[in-house]
Amino acid sequence: MKNLLRKELSELFNTQMLLGLLVSFILIVMLGFVMTSTVSESMEISSEVHIIDQDQTGFTQQIADYLEEQGYLVKKISENSETPAYETILKEQNWKEAVVLPSGLMDQLFFQHEPCELHTIRVLETTSTVAMMETGESSAELVQNAISVLLTKNFLGESMTFLENPISLASYTVANGKTVRANSFSVVSSMAMFDQLMPLILFMLIILTSQTIITAIGSEKTDKTLETLLSSPVPRSVIIGAKMLSSLIVALVYAAVYGVGFATSLLFTVDRTAENVNISEAFSDILATQQATQELGLQISGIGWGGVIIQLLLTIGIALTAATILGGFAEDAKSSQTASLPIVILTMFPYILSMVSDIRNMERPVRILLYLIPFTHTFTATGCLRFGQTGTFLGGMIYQAVFLVGMIFCALKLYQSDILFVHSFGKKSAK
Amino acid sequence: MTTALAVQHLAKSYGKKNAVRDVSFQIQEGEIFGLMGMNGAGKTTVLRMLATLLKPDSGDALIAGHSIVKHPEEVRACISYLPDEAGAYKTMTGKNYLAFIAGLYFKSEQEQKECASLGEQICGLGDALSQKINTYSRGMTRKLVLARTVMTKPKLAILDEPTSGLDVLNSLDIRRTIRRCAEEYGTAFLLSSHHMQEVFTTADRGAIMKDGAFLAEGTPQELLEQYGAETLEEAFEKAVQNS
Repeated sequence: MKNLLRKELSELFNTQMLLGLLVSFILIVMLGFVMTSTVSESMEISSEVHIIDQDQTGFTQQIADYLEEQGYLVKKISENSETPAYETILKEQNWKEAVVLPSGLMDQLFFQHEPCELHTIRVLETTSTVAMMETGESSAELVQNAISVLLTKNFLGESMTFLENPISLASYTVANGKTVRANSFSVVSSMAMFDQLMPLILFMLIILTSQTIITAIGSEKTDKTLETLLSSPVPRSVIIGAKMLSSLIVALVYAAVYGVGFATSLLFTVDRTAENVNISEAFSDILATQQATQELGLQISGIGWGGVIIQLLLTIGIALTAATILGGFAEDAKSSQTASLPIVILTMFPYILSMVSDIRNMERPVRILLYLIPFTHTFTATGCLRFGQTGTFLGGMIYQAVFLVGMIFCALKLYQSDILFVHSFGKKSAK
Repeated sequence: MTTALAVQHLAKSYGKKNAVRDVSFQIQEGEIFGLMGMNGAGKTTVLRMLATLLKPDSGDALIAGHSIVKHPEEVRACISYLPDEAGAYKTMTGKNYLAFIAGLYFKSEQEQKECASLGEQICGLGDALSQKINTYSRGMTRKLVLARTVMTKPKLAILDEPTSGLDVLNSLDIRRTIRRCAEEYGTAFLLSSHHMQEVFTTADRGAIMKDGAFLAEGTPQELLEQYGAETLEEAFEKAVQNS
């Protein structure tokens, strides 16, 4: 038993496996570090309450004081204009969100005893999961709660109808320098349907197709069929091309199956939801959100979608070429798993980050590092197009195209050289 | 007789290890040449260089007049290489595999059909050719891959340990096929083996290799006489001990 266990362990814990483990550990730690800093940043932001004070009365000061007593950091600016440009104010103050206390607030509540409408404004810069979490109405709810408490104190014992619901909220969303009356959560949700589905499909495609091609090359090496092919009169570029094209076809079949599967699943969900809601209301909500998205310039044009598809194809091309190169170094089918590790890690890293954070607005060194990974550009493509970063999008596309050409050149060089039969992940063969 | 292969001062090293050192020899059309040597003697490296899979550090070889260094593409059209313990695509049937290989060598459908048909005859697997290769025994797979190596009637067939791991009857079958193809199609054969008997019964000439260099070269009879031996094993032992 002891001998068998030792033998099994020595086979499993080889240098390749330990190296892979070490690289994975380092990357997971790095990923954790970036994610932690992102979460801390959003927690820091969520403890702040930003107020645009148009009323400028003792009552609005009381609201601020009350919130500060509750432990929140209140940042309040006075605004005299009746129709201020919210996008400009938020940009000047470097705020992501704010609550507007309208002119006449105190008068309306205290003297006219009528409910009042607060404006809550949110800057939209991303459609990532974190953005969805941040697009809640927390600041507005805090102010709303503060007003209710202060009113209750003031009108203690008095029975007034307006006190049951003294404040209503009107949501405004700021994006691309425009402000539109719309709930930012709904706007993000309408875009997230695609913006989060596409990276997921892309992630799975890259992993599956690269594994397929690396395993295929590894098996050819084990069976020595690769030597037969490479010593045949067929040009090596044709041999590599056929391998990559077949994997691309497999990838597209996968993409079609996943796409149809997810779309069916979404339609089913929508269908089930529609059973429980008023259809006409739901439809008008969707139309309103669509209109808001359009007014904010968040919709992607046909040319834009064309660009996204080109980026998708470039990404799959890079993954396939990288897999072809790595497969060449795989000693056999068994070592294919280790060979695909670099692709898995380089895909997983930007994918997870794009899900939980906004890569486009990260610190410059981290952003540059991430943008060096060619796959990152496709994960951020829709975000770039929606938020007017066309230059970053085009730059990413050009970088991917250049990267792909470089990779194809390397793959051709590799398969025309004898490195394939001399080196294989640290092993030198000499028969 | 035309020279099928002319090897000139071929050398190859892996890092500090000299795998092949200044090897030169020739093979004529229809001739069978056996490379004998222990494991690690450099036989496979010579074969892989001639199959254009490895690039020599120095020296060259002309196959049907084409240089393996300068014109590897032309060389590949004249050769056929059978690696040691080579397999075939397991999900294909034997018939489809032969047709697939024929497609790599010939453009016209007629030529491809004739080539594959010849392969079917050579391997002698009969009805089994309609079965998937993953159902084949080791001997059957070896016959199939040998058939695909010779069915294209190459100028030079390069066979690395063609009978390794096979039983006596299958080995005899393979050797007879090699002999027949050399005579019928004029294909020159370069085969490596560490079985002296195989070389003695199959090859017209051979060479003994050690540490990447030739120790002796000649017909089996010449090798026996050179070392005053009764068998090739004995000649091989003396050659290695004297080196």
